[in-house]
Amino acid sequence: MRFAPARVRPALAAAAIAAPSVLALYAFLSAESGTRVSLVLAGSVLAVLAGWRSGLLARLVRTADERALLVALALAALGLIRAFHDDPFVLLLLSRALLVLVACLGLHVQLADAGVPNFAGAAFFGVGGYTAAVLGRGTLPHPAVLLASGAVAAAVGSLLLLPLLRTRGHYAALITIAFGLLFRTFFEVNESLGGPQGLKLGGFRVLGFDFNDDRQLLGVDYSGFAFYCLAALALTLLAVAFVRRLERSWLGVALDAVRLDETAAACFGISIGKWKIAAFTLGNALIGVAGGLSAMMVGFIAPNNFTFQESLVLVSILLLGGLGNLAGLAVASLIVVGLPEKLQTIQEYRYLLFSVLVVLVLVLRPAGLIRRAVRRPFGSVLP
Amino acid sequence: MNQRIALLPRLALLLLLAALPARAKETVKLAFIGPLTGGNSAIGLGGRNSADLAVKLRNADPKAKYTYELVVLDDECKPDTGVQVATKAGADKSIVAGITHYCSVVAMATVDTFHRLALPTIVWGAVLPDITYGHSYKEIHRVNGTMINQNETAAKLMLKQGFRRWVVIHDTTDYGKGHNKFFTQFVTAGGGQILGTFGVTADQQDFTAELTQAKALNPEVIYFGGLTPIGVRIRAQMDKLGINAQFQGTSGIVSDDFIKGLGPLAEGVVAFREGAPAEKLPGGKFFLEKYAEQKYANPPEAYGPFAYAAAALLMDIIEKVGPDRKKVLAALGEVKGKDSIVGAITFDDHGQNTVAAITAYVVQDGKWVVWEDSEYATGKRKLKGR
Amino acid sequence: MDLLAQYVMNGVMLGLMYALVAIGFTLFFGVLNVIQFAHGDVLTAGAFAGLASYAVVVQAGVASPLPQLVTVALAATLSMAVLGAVLGRVLVLPLKAAPALNVLLATLMGGTALRESIRLFYPGGSQPQRFPTLLPTSSWSLGRFALRLDNLLMLAAGAVLVVALSLVLQRTRLGLAIRAVAQDEETARTMGIDFRRVVLLTFAIGSALAAFAGVMNGLYYAEVNFGSGLLLGVIGFSAAVLGGLGSFSGALLGGFLFAALQTVGAVALPFASAYKDVFAFGAVILLMTWKPTGLIGEQLSERV
Repeated sequence: MRFAPARVRPALAAAAIAAPSVLALYAFLSAESGTRVSLVLAGSVLAVLAGWRSGLLARLVRTADERALLVALALAALGLIRAFHDDPFVLLLLSRALLVLVACLGLHVQLADAGVPNFAGAAFFGVGGYTAAVLGRGTLPHPAVLLASGAVAAAVGSLLLLPLLRTRGHYAALITIAFGLLFRTFFEVNESLGGPQGLKLGGFRVLGFDFNDDRQLLGVDYSGFAFYCLAALALTLLAVAFVRRLERSWLGVALDAVRLDETAAACFGISIGKWKIAAFTLGNALIGVAGGLSAMMVGFIAPNNFTFQESLVLVSILLLGGLGNLAGLAVASLIVVGLPEKLQTIQEYRYLLFSVLVVLVLVLRPAGLIRRAVRRPFGSVLP
Repeated sequence: MNQRIALLPRLALLLLLAALPARAKETVKLAFIGPLTGGNSAIGLGGRNSADLAVKLRNADPKAKYTYELVVLDDECKPDTGVQVATKAGADKSIVAGITHYCSVVAMATVDTFHRLALPTIVWGAVLPDITYGHSYKEIHRVNGTMINQNETAAKLMLKQGFRRWVVIHDTTDYGKGHNKFFTQFVTAGGGQILGTFGVTADQQDFTAELTQAKALNPEVIYFGGLTPIGVRIRAQMDKLGINAQFQGTSGIVSDDFIKGLGPLAEGVVAFREGAPAEKLPGGKFFLEKYAEQKYANPPEAYGPFAYAAAALLMDIIEKVGPDRKKVLAALGEVKGKDSIVGAITFDDHGQNTVAAITAYVVQDGKWVVWEDSEYATGKRKLKGR
Repeated sequence: MDLLAQYVMNGVMLGLMYALVAIGFTLFFGVLNVIQFAHGDVLTAGAFAGLASYAVVVQAGVASPLPQLVTVALAATLSMAVLGAVLGRVLVLPLKAAPALNVLLATLMGGTALRESIRLFYPGGSQPQRFPTLLPTSSWSLGRFALRLDNLLMLAAGAVLVVALSLVLQRTRLGLAIRAVAQDEETARTMGIDFRRVVLLTFAIGSALAAFAGVMNGLYYAEVNFGSGLLLGVIGFSAAVLGGLGSFSGALLGGFLFAALQTVGAVALPFASAYKDVFAFGAVILLMTWKPTGLIGEQLSERV
């Protein structure tokens, strides 16, 4: 690193982080037996620990250019899709992990940025899915259907704005918990939207191109799920770029102020209500869009998809990754979605495992596995 | 000297034989999907064990061309989980065919998934007619019967016993709604009267509201279209509210867990299902003997024989056409009069097997007893209100 | 008229169960300003502990229902008192200095871990388990209203428990200590009250109450299910919040109010009684919007 010219170092650092991560991911996804999966996991954990202890990881993270890292990871993801081009199982897993990541990004904006707890994340995911189910049958072009999923989720969330603004802390948490339970029961009892049987969806179609079909591109057979994976990847990149932009802007500063000390922020003239509404609505919109695409990919949605338990899983991902840490978020969603699928033996124990892990993280390292970076004040010199 | 030279060719031959690769049989995977956890797990586990028995017996057969492996997946009797595991099974190229579902809710949800991923399947326990008749996909077949005949026989028998006034409670899934539709149709055609209909959710705990209203209507029979867990709760709460009506159920409550959950309250409950009881099936004795030999922790329950028959049929087809999904699908379309432990299997143009026999059951002394063999049929014991 | 009586009876039984859970929430909040969200799952664990002790006692040859009932109740309440204290010691006290949300999350996850453990490790845990009938089943029919002896007995026992707890809080030294800590922790410590002991005892008492509610739930529905604690916990929390967190009488009020909302919803909405939960939770959200700190409000003050 010292030998490379200063201009290239950020890009190199980004590549140095992206390459081993993707290799580990490839090994993880292609591992067949339970023992190999565990070995890959153990190896990755050891590598990360070694990098951390030696200080190498910290240096790389400091030097790496964020945009270059995103580009590197996107290229690597494309490579992975090519590598698993006709394995629908892996492609489906990857797509699901990416869509869960987008939903968690929405939660991230709400909880990690603005400090608004949302225990109904899965309910908004479901709202997006149901919107896609209902609108997808009509004449609206599917990309617009996705946007509509986000809009409807945000609109439904706005029903809770008044109670959320008037309450604080535990009471606010209760509002979203009650809402999540209410919504699931409502969809289960209400026959007009399928009831407990749920609704079926057609695939995502754009310009006559149906994502459900297997296709040949440049001489390589791609399973239908590869296209969903591409769409999910595009959505993820957009969401990450959006969230980072948000965090770096004045909105981000305002949200930080609201989260850290409402009274002080109010004293400085920041409108608490306005920023909380903004964060909550934007977060729900992200969750809704992810839910819409996910429903179209799976082809089915039912009320049991969005129980309170599922909302807790989303919040767990946020906590396991470290509140405020986007890289941790990505790793956590990959592990939470991918591990039970790969290690069949823990499939049944997954809720127990995740809840115990979260409790351990909360009790032993409440600041998160990686401490959250403090915003650099303007005018400070880069070390 | 001579001996050593003579030894060399023999040694060479031995080495040559040893160097030949051992002819290992190719492994073929079949997926089994059923409710292995939750309120219907007893039936799911019975089905799994039965399919497993078929696979074990086939693997023990030296004439079999392939070694079979059963990939067991749990659908938890929930449609979303069902779609997930169905997608998993369908997406896994090494799985050639599936033996799928007891819960109709789940079977309805996964129909599209199996078609999309081109996995040929045989349903072993779900009874909703739409599962085979509600679409024109070639992939879905079923060995057990549908709920239409079940409800027709039920209406006839209960009307013959002299019952005229019913209240129907059904779960709001397509399964419960199907039962409601067909039973109401047959009972009203035969001169009976449905005083009221109540829909309940599949995981409802408290039925006091519905039952209080039902009590006010004063029915002779309460017909329940749904599965064991709610059946247990409704029967128990009927007793708590002092409702003295006869309780009538469907194939969904014909399980040992129903009796275990109610104890003495289960006495006299009537239920119906398609298919003869295991002992009376053509291959029943053989099946029960072999099942007992394996010492499974759970009994086969009502649909075990169907799961066995489905697995055996699939393996027969794979032996003939090879482990190729398309070929298996084509062969399934031509199954006519194929012998199995549940009788001759013929798939019609929608993949549905016709199962003629409907068995009526009544709970007598803590066991499900075939109606004709029971003391209720002879008149020694009486149903409620007779 | 008799139909109304039946509905009222149903509502009162539910209300008592919810109130018992709500009192637990309010006690924990009072002493530590925390929401112990594993409380509902402690209720389920209590019911299962009672069930297990029943199996043991039946094996030991005890056949008459009264000693069985006493064993079940004692086993459930005592084991959950211990579990509650352990949860307090391990999950809640260490997180005292952390933001309130962390404790909520930690206890939520702890509750999930408890629930999943029951589902995975109790034999047959994933299915509903039959709870034995330990109370006399005689009933009097007044028209269409069946007045059952077991319901009356449970109501009486619950009422006695609530009154006893109220007396403990108002008349004993322990109660005084609990109230002191709830009012002002620093001053209470300065006055020589052993903070930790009081907190752990409060957790024990609250959890024992939940266990009693769990046994009541099992006897009422003749069934226990590993998942029933989650909904009961949320309902109990809603009830405590409705009545105002930290207020004992508020918890009672909230519990019965929530049951009343559910019963009214079940009766008034003609299509499905399943909408009653939707109705009740919707009403809770509306009530919270109107009165953000509960009906018997909490005095919220913050150091700026």
